[in-house]
This record gives sequence, structure tokens and C-alpha cells, in this order.
Amino acid sequence: MTLRLLLVDDDVLVRSGLRVILESEPDLTVVGDAGTGREALEVASRTDPDVVLMDVRMPDMDGIAATAELVARDPLRPRVLVLTTFEDDDYLFRSLQAGASGFALKRSDPDELVDAIRVVARGTSLVLPDLTRRLIASHAPSRARGSAALPELTGREADVLRLVAGGLSNAEIATELFLSRETVKTHVSSVLLKLGARDRTQAVIAAYESGFMTA
Amino acid sequence: MPSTTFPRSGPEIGAALHAVFATAVGPGWPGRLLYGLASVPAGALGLALYVALLGSVVAVIYGVGLLLVLLVLATIRGFAGVERGLARILLGVEIPAGEQVRRQSGLVLKVRRLVASAGTWRAVGWVGARVLLGVATLAVLFFATIICVALRVTITWNVVNALPLLGLMALTVLGGLLLLDAIVRVATSVAPRLLGPGAEQQIAALQHSSRRLADRNRLARDLHDTIGHALTASLLQATAARRTLTPADDRPVQPDFARQALQHIETNTRTALAELDRVLTVLRAEEDGRDPAPFAAPSLGDLDELLEGLRDGGLPVALTADVDADGVPADVQELAYRVVQEGTTNVLRHAGTPLTVAQVLRAGGTLVVRVHNEPPTLLDSRPGPGGGRGLAGLRERAAALGGTLHAGPTPSGGFELTVTLPLDGAA
Repeated sequence: MTLRLLLVDDDVLVRSGLRVILESEPDLTVVGDAGTGREALEVASRTDPDVVLMDVRMPDMDGIAATAELVARDPLRPRVLVLTTFEDDDYLFRSLQAGASGFALKRSDPDELVDAIRVVARGTSLVLPDLTRRLIASHAPSRARGSAALPELTGREADVLRLVAGGLSNAEIATELFLSRETVKTHVSSVLLKLGARDRTQAVIAAYESGFMTA
Repeated sequence: MPSTTFPRSGPEIGAALHAVFATAVGPGWPGRLLYGLASVPAGALGLALYVALLGSVVAVIYGVGLLLVLLVLATIRGFAGVERGLARILLGVEIPAGEQVRRQSGLVLKVRRLVASAGTWRAVGWVGARVLLGVATLAVLFFATIICVALRVTITWNVVNALPLLGLMALTVLGGLLLLDAIVRVATSVAPRLLGPGAEQQIAALQHSSRRLADRNRLARDLHDTIGHALTASLLQATAARRTLTPADDRPVQPDFARQALQHIETNTRTALAELDRVLTVLRAEEDGRDPAPFAAPSLGDLDELLEGLRDGGLPVALTADVDADGVPADVQELAYRVVQEGTTNVLRHAGTPLTVAQVLRAGGTLVVRVHNEPPTLLDSRPGPGGGRGLAGLRERAAALGGTLHAGPTPSGGFELTVTLPLDGAA
């Protein structure tokens, strides 16, 4: 299956570079690009991409607002992968909060970048699990442990959420808990449903913001 | 939160007792006692200074004592310095010195600051407070002694009343000590206000440190926006170029893309290096303790040099500046410089090396800064509606100065950036 990509960055050089790099992968195709958040919304509704590679800071609607708008339109498609120059960025956390599924560094190795796109499209694990967890843990408003406003999770679901927040993939969770992958998948879906989270990243944010996980 | 909790367990009570013990018998109390007793001679000295001040003022009326007044004022300031030391050594209260009149260069300036400085007159106030505290201390010592002596002399002690009388004496001594402690407390709370730097100096220091912080933040943002950005774009272009030069099964080699990418990398790294140079100059200036402001805040006069660098980088750019820089506020000058810098760098980034004109002119009460370029020379360029990311920042900064920013494509296919800034300083 070919993944349809939309490139959003205000720098034409970043876009043209990314396009060449990504187009050289057989399973990826760039269906459009945009220089501003507003343009991205317009191109997205025209080209129906699977994954949007979104820059954060742009003139005329930044990546945070554009991500929020895309999520509001349809919580499931497209997934947003935020592209960032620097790891520790307040904007980065805010774009995850707005509904982005993950982030990748613009300086990352082309293979890593392509990997991140595939992971975001599949949704079976976090992108850059360690970095993402650290970012969320350090930015999420900390509350006292146990003040959880989380809906009732079963014991198993709580275990699964803890491992998801730890950055484990479905396969790794299955090994850890001696469950089948299918069972893990069911538990994850049920956790996401109860948390009202559209993907794992949002579930991790909810876990930290509620005090279920602490930094 | 901790103040409302009571110790419950044995170790907690032990720790609390230890804390009370430490504050009561620690190195603090001999110092406090000494400080309290020193109030008497210090008060006497203060009284003498007041008499001297009054005397010298009277002498001025007779036309001879001007020098005397200055001498007394200088002595009072010196006294205040000694008092700061006393408070630091005996009470552990650190009082920063205010304005240093001694550091002023020139006798006239020294004299002027000595008389005009609010610190001098606060020091005079402190001497007055010292006299009052000295009198109070003396009164406490005097009455405590009188009571004790009276108890011993006027009453015939016998087996029955000896114990109560001793108790009464002990109470008197304890009361006296408590009063002395109260006096020292008053001195501790008043001293920083009269001996420390005034509100205006504190505000100035605060402003200085917040300006430094703002400079640092701006530097970090500049680094992020220019060097981080240029390196990222160059990296992606280089990666892409290598791919286009590597033949794969279904993909031909694309030397045109590679050639263009190399040109982009060249321009990007050149502007990044220029920016790095500027940032390092600022940082070095800070390290040497020099005020980096003249480096951090470029002015209209620096435009020639900026454009010279861009011409070396291959951009044919002309400057039309028709403004007397003297009448333009420094913040407006800096922003004007930034507009030209951002505008021309964006041309290089997005349009290649087309003919470009930078204009700075005065129109009524406003300064108009405009960067205009002819149609792009790059194949893959596209005049975006917003231009570079720096424009958003420029728009904010222009708005902060009461100005406006317009950016957009021109009918001829080029791009134009126009910033209008008011010159009357209206924000």
C-alpha cells in the first residue's frame, strides 16, 4: 500500500529536499506541498493524504493551529507528523497537544524519517518513544499522583497504558504481559476509547496530565 | 503548607526542638546582643553627627561652613558604610551598597552626587534612627539597672522574700533583654531601607538584568531562526542531491536538481556564517563585560555593510536611503535594519539572485522600509503568501512599535516587503 504524503513547511528548500528524499521510497508518494498552515488545510482537503508532515512555525496559521483544524475535521485521517529543528521546544509539545501523532527531527537520518512516517500511519507504537515521553513528562502540567481524572480502567488496561506511555509497541507489550498481540490491540483500543484519545500519543498526554503517570 | 503541620512523631519533635535551640543559642545571639549594646555608642556618634550637621548649617548662614556641611555629609555616608558592615557581621543581614559617590570621576560631580543622591539623605535618616535606637537602648539598660539596684538597696532581704526578689530581678533582666531584642529587630527591618539602594536604583538594576535576558532570548531566537534554519535546509538539500545523483532501478540521475541544491547550500551556509559571526561578536562582548548593546542593536548606518556582504554573496542589491539617522529612535533603526536583513535574506532563500532594491525613506511622521525584488531566478521557487518565518516575528515587532508590515507578490512577478514605522515614538 502506498502512503500519500503532504509536505508543509514555509521553506521551499526544505520542501524540495524532503520531496526528493521521500519520493525515492517505493511505498511513499508526495501528493502535495504547502508553505503555510492555511494553504495546508486547502491542499489537504483536495489531495486526501494519509500523513501530513507539518512544520511548526509558519506565517499565516502555524502548524499547531493547522493540526488542530485537521483533527477537528476528521480525528482519524490524516495523521500529523510534526517536523522540528529542535527537540526541546515548547511549540513541539503544544503541537502534540493539538493532536499531532508524533514528531520527527528534520535533521534525522532519511531512514529514520521514513520509519517515523510508517509508524505514524500504522499507529502501533510511539514515534521516538524516549524523546516523546520526556517531552510530554516535562511539559504536561504535573498533578499529584492519584488525583487521576482518568475514567475507570481495568487492571489490565492500566498495565497496558503504563507500557504504552513507556514507549512499548503492541508486540513488546504482548511479550511483556504474556498476551497475544490481538488481545493487546483490543486493550489499547479500549484504553483509547475510554480516554477519548485518538492515538497513543494523545493517550500518553492524558496519562501524564491526569497524574496517572508522573515525571 | 509546612507551617500548618505539627510534628507528631518523636524524631520530628526532636528536630523541631533542635531548630529552636539552634536559633536561640546559635552564633546569632551574641552578635545580636553586641549589636544591641553597640546602639549606645553608635547613637552617641549619630547625635554628634547631627550636632555637627546642624552646626555646619548654622555656619553656612555665616558664610563659612559650606565645606563643613559636605565634610559632615561625607562622614555620614562613611558612617552608613560602617553600619552596613556592622549589620553584616553581627546580624548576618546583607545590605547592598547603593550609588557609590566615590566612584564618580571629578570633584564637581562627586560633590553634586553627594548632595543630590537620595542615598545621602537616607543615610542622614538612618543616623536619626540610630540616635532614637541608642536612646531606647540606654533607657532599657538604665531602668533595668535602677530596678535591680532599688530591689537590692531599698528592701531588707530575709529568708522569706529573698527568693521572690531574686525572681523579680531575673524577670527584670529577662524583660530588658527582650526589649533589647525588639530594638535590634526594629533596626534590622529599618536598616535595609535606609542603608540599602533606593527603589530607583533597584528598578534600574532590575531593568538592566531584564534587558540582558531579553538580549539573550533574542539571540537564541535569532540562532534558531537563522543558523538552525539554514543548516536544516542545507542538510535536506544535500541529502536530496546525493539521492538524485545515485541512480536507482526506476530513477534517472538528475544533475540539474543537484546543481541547484548545491547553489542553495552555498547561499544558506554563507548567510548562516555571517549570522554566526554576529552572534559570536555579541557573546564575546558580553564575556568581556562590555555592554553588547551596540553589537546587538544594529542601526541604519550598518545597512551599507550588510548589503555589501549580500553583494559578495551574489545578490545584485541596491540601497536607497534618504533619511537622517539622527532623528530616528534606536529601536526603530534596529527594526529597519532587521527588515532589510530579513527581506534580502528571504530573496536569497526563495528567489535566488534577482535584482533587488532596499529602500529606507521618511514619509510624513513615518519611516518606510521596503525590500523589493524582480521575478525569481530559481526554477523551483514559488512566491508564498507569507514569505519567510522571520516575517511573523517582524510583524510582531513592528506592531510593538506601532507600525505595520505588508508582504506579498508584485504584479511583475517579484516580491515586496514593506514596513511602516511611526517616528514620534508612539507605541
